[in-house]
Amino acid sequence: MTATTEAGKGGRTRIAEQSLGHRLKVWMANPWGKPRFMVLIAWAYVLITIIPVIVAIQFSFNAGRSVTVWQGFDLTKWYFGDSAYSVWHDPRLQQALFQSVKLAALDMLIATPLGVLLAIGLARWRGTILSNISNFIMLFPLVTPELMMGVALFLVFLNLFTFIQPSTTAQVLGHVTFSLSYVVVIVRGRLFSIGKQYEEAAADLGATPFECLWLVLFPLLLPAIFSSMMMVFAISIDDFVISQWLSCGSDCDTVPIRVYASTRGAPLPSINALAAIMVYMTLSAVGIAWLGHKFMTRGEKRSGGGGMSQAMGGGFDM
Amino acid sequence: MAGGAVELIDLNKLYGTMRAVDNISLHIPGGEFFSLLGSSGCGKTTTLRMIAGFEQPTSGHIILDGVDMTETPPHKRHVNTVFQSYALFPHLNVFDNVAFGLRRQKETPDNVNRRVNEALALVQLNGFEKRKPSQMSGGQQQRVALARALVLKPAVLLLDEPLGALDARLRKQLQVELKTLQQQVGITFVYVTHDQEEALTMSDRIAIMSQGKIEQIATPEEMYENPATVFVADFLGVSNLMDGVASGADAGGRCKVRLGNFELAAGRGASGASGNTKITIRPERVRLEPKGTAGENRIPGTVQRWVYLGNSVQLIVGLATGEKIQALMQNSGDEIPYREGSEVAVHLPAAALRVLTDTGVKLASEGD
Amino acid sequence: MYPKWLWPVFAVPGVLWLILLFLVPFYAVIGVAFGGIDPIFMNAVPTWNPVDWDYSSMIDTLHGFLPGNSYWTVLVRTTVYVALALTGSLLIGYPVAYYISRHAKKTKGILLALLVLPFWVSYMMRMLAWVNLFSPNGYINKFLIWTHIVTTPPDWLNGNSTSVVLGLIYGYVPYLILPLLAALDRIDRSVLEAARDLGASPASAFYHITLPLSKPGILGASVIIALPMFGDYYTPNIVSGSPKTTMLGNQIDIFFHGGPQPSVGASLTMLLSLFLAVLMAYYMITIAKAQKEMQA
Repeated sequence: MTATTEAGKGGRTRIAEQSLGHRLKVWMANPWGKPRFMVLIAWAYVLITIIPVIVAIQFSFNAGRSVTVWQGFDLTKWYFGDSAYSVWHDPRLQQALFQSVKLAALDMLIATPLGVLLAIGLARWRGTILSNISNFIMLFPLVTPELMMGVALFLVFLNLFTFIQPSTTAQVLGHVTFSLSYVVVIVRGRLFSIGKQYEEAAADLGATPFECLWLVLFPLLLPAIFSSMMMVFAISIDDFVISQWLSCGSDCDTVPIRVYASTRGAPLPSINALAAIMVYMTLSAVGIAWLGHKFMTRGEKRSGGGGMSQAMGGGFDM
Repeated sequence: MAGGAVELIDLNKLYGTMRAVDNISLHIPGGEFFSLLGSSGCGKTTTLRMIAGFEQPTSGHIILDGVDMTETPPHKRHVNTVFQSYALFPHLNVFDNVAFGLRRQKETPDNVNRRVNEALALVQLNGFEKRKPSQMSGGQQQRVALARALVLKPAVLLLDEPLGALDARLRKQLQVELKTLQQQVGITFVYVTHDQEEALTMSDRIAIMSQGKIEQIATPEEMYENPATVFVADFLGVSNLMDGVASGADAGGRCKVRLGNFELAAGRGASGASGNTKITIRPERVRLEPKGTAGENRIPGTVQRWVYLGNSVQLIVGLATGEKIQALMQNSGDEIPYREGSEVAVHLPAAALRVLTDTGVKLASEGD
Repeated sequence: MYPKWLWPVFAVPGVLWLILLFLVPFYAVIGVAFGGIDPIFMNAVPTWNPVDWDYSSMIDTLHGFLPGNSYWTVLVRTTVYVALALTGSLLIGYPVAYYISRHAKKTKGILLALLVLPFWVSYMMRMLAWVNLFSPNGYINKFLIWTHIVTTPPDWLNGNSTSVVLGLIYGYVPYLILPLLAALDRIDRSVLEAARDLGASPASAFYHITLPLSKPGILGASVIIALPMFGDYYTPNIVSGSPKTTMLGNQIDIFFHGGPQPSVGASLTMLLSLFLAVLMAYYMITIAKAQKEMQA
């Protein structure tokens, strides 16, 4: 025993005076040491994705008319200060802003209830051929490239549902069609993670089926419903392809369409301001969603499927 | 198969300011079945992971057969691990799982074939080569993990609660198999468990750990009969710990202890102790005698609970001193004359009564 | 405890919606592709009855895909662009996802938040930002001249294939990294420890364990970004706008918005759907599987 203690003391002094070579050896020996070059790649990537956006937002505050040459700072000029070309005073930009918000709001109001019902229905209605087919159809919009959906909807409104024609209505219908499945995926994840036990407990305690749904299931689904709403809002605001294909012309322009149209021309910083407004709005929506979700699921263990992360990119959590 | 001696010298592991492993030194001779026993968070798994090379000690040395391994990465240590969750490679079948290590050593295909078959025969899994881990039961997966580690003929096999995920019956059966296997292959096993019964039945020696420190290292029998600390006595099953006041040894070399108004003689432990102590006695050593029986170390009491356990009967007796004591009586087929409410004399034989001096330790049974 | 008819009733409105506004529109594509053109107004006259279908547009379109013909060139170009962009995205995305999943400890939260950020910035906004950087007097050219790598600023934004591929990578990497990260996060750490324990060096453990175990994730993530890339027309338009960089998506866009030849456009759309059917099926199966796993 004494022998080991002495060896131990020797060991401790050795460690105190470790050389660079020794430290390198220790570092190499550590199986979970960080590969330094990867730190570099990760941060470089993150910065490269974000810096251009920050630069673009920066130019929305440019005092001059260039989007590439910095001519001084002006907080309000391109947002509402300039009486001809600012987002607020240029009728086309203002129109695009309102159109985007209008589409996103209507999409949210229609797709969320429809998707919640569909999610519950599909999750619980099983074992028949019809339910399997319905499940299958629900997955299609998630995997179909938007261009195809845009062309298909464009043709159907032009040739079959001719009473609609490409218009704001058509845009809303199109947005709901592609956002519906996202709602289903989010809500269904939450449905699976909460299981049936709470409703069964309620039924056991004498609740009617309606009470089980309204007093138990609905409140439990609220975080997912809220997440879906924000998700729908965000993907609708971001959408370009469907909006463009179903557009009735300049009166139907949304922000992405406006931005797209001006990139090939000679854009003014007001375009940057318009795009920046969308970034502010989406980020606030996400912030609200995050806080709301956190608030609504407080005291719960980490919920399996209600989170926003699970839904982004359409069920990418494979 | 010689070798396999492990020596830990002043081993420390700090996570931030938390001392997960606190200055551990121990020596495990080659071929020993050595267990690290303790509740979760006591540092036993961290110690094992340092021997395997998955964690770097903050200070101290790990020596395998006289060679300092402290800075050797895990893939160069002649030590293999059986993981708690088995960690079988889900994309490889049983054969490829077992062959993994051999192939890393660039063994010829013939050798790989032969040795994998030997290893699978050792754990009685021939015929399962093509199965994927997900197609096997927990017990079978456990055997694959064992074969995968043993096939490399390591000097030391590290086992991290390898039976923890199995049900009680299977666990009992595998305990016996593991012990037999260890004697068969003759290599050192370092076995981490929180199950005291498992440690007692399988090990040559046990180290009981608590809060990163080793409380006691001993053979199972020594550990059970002569626990060095209150923690050890408590951890190895119910021990009837009572607060007493000691006043030195009597003429017979036994410690005089006062429990309430009763003077007891304790023949084990710190015979010369004085002042506040813990006295302890195993339930199976407590004797119940008819009320009023005279003699030393006898305290009157009343049976409060009577629990039938099958092979024995457990009685909880309230002593006149206010303490409660547990007694275990063998079910020999004779009628046990005491029921709830019976008044008895509780005999605490001096030869079984132990005095422990460390009273400040937090007990395992009190939880975290 | 609930009446049997309740769940189908819940599902009906959504399913009907998808039938009317998803399946029927695709039938409209077929109807237009196999339909005629009004000789005066040049608009589509769809044929709904399969018996009366007119295959001439489709045959013409298919003819264009023969090697050497115009669509063939576009198809090859599209495939090459997507393949290059996908490879580039994986080369960037995999190390990033790997690092965040395996090594970032204290910084994991912030890195994750920054990774997700591009999801909430409109694609067009990011493209606007990208072309601003690459514009003739943008920061990229300023940097290149300042460091004397070039003396005359290169023209990035007119028919430059490199710019299109870079633009696609910039646009789609974020959608690749998150699924990759999810796949890598699911690999049990103890499996890697086991590999090291059994004598695998770090590189060997990566090659024999991490890589095969993340293969489904790599495939899934690749499909997720390959699908929209094949249908992309706006990215090449924004960063190039030249016929030299036309992709299949641009070709379809041109037939509907440029010269009105709707039956050719519809035929192209149909062929593109068929071309992508395998990828779409694969993606659908992975989603269905994930949902089933969640249920269990």
